[in-house]
Amino acid sequence: MSGGGSIGSGGGGGGDKFSGGGSSSTKTPSDFLKSIRGRPVVVKLNSGVDYRGILACLDGYMNIAMEQTEEYVNGQLKNKYGDAFIRGNNVLYISTSKRTLGDGA
Amino acid sequence: MSSNPSQLLPSELIDRCIGSKIWVIMKGDKELVGTLRGFDVYVNMVLEDVTEYEITAEGRRVTKLDQILLNGNNIAILVPGGSPDPE
Repeated sequence: MSGGGSIGSGGGGGGDKFSGGGSSSTKTPSDFLKSIRGRPVVVKLNSGVDYRGILACLDGYMNIAMEQTEEYVNGQLKNKYGDAFIRGNNVLYISTSKRTLGDGA
Repeated sequence: MSSNPSQLLPSELIDRCIGSKIWVIMKGDKELVGTLRGFDVYVNMVLEDVTEYEITAEGRRVTKLDQILLNGNNIAILVPGGSPDPE
C-alpha cells in the first residue's frame, strides 16, 4: 500500500506549505472527506455521468460507497441503485448538494 | 533555501490563491471557476461556490455547485483570480 491514498492519511501536516494548512478558512481535501460522510452528494465521473445519493463511506483514493443512488446521464435519470460502490479512479469530483434527492436535473 | 524571494515554487503560488477565486482548466473540454479552500500534494482541490463549464457539441453546459472536492488527475492549468468571462 504505497502511493495514491494521501488524502485520508494527511494527519494535519502542521507548517507544511504544500498542504495549505494554517488559515482557519483553509479546508484541505482530507478535511473535506471527513466533513461530508452521511450527507447527500453528487459524484461526477470522468465519463460525465452523475451519481446522486447519500454518501455512506469513502477513502483517500476517492473510492465511494453510496446509498439511494440515482444515475443521471445528460441530466436525465437513467437508473436507481440501493447501494453502489464507485472506484475512485473514475471520480472527477465529489460535490455536496443543497438540493434534496429526487429533485434531479 | 526558500529565502530567495525571486524563487516561488508552483505549490506556493497555489497556496497564495487559497481564499480567492481560481480558474481551473481541465484536460478535455471542461473548466471550473470557484473559490479555493485547499489542496494537497496531488493538487486535488477543495472549491466553493463553483461554476462548471462543459463545452459540448450542443453548446456550453453550466452547472453551479456548492462545495466540491475536485480530483487533481485531470487538471491541466490553474489561473489565479478566476475566469475573465463575466459569467
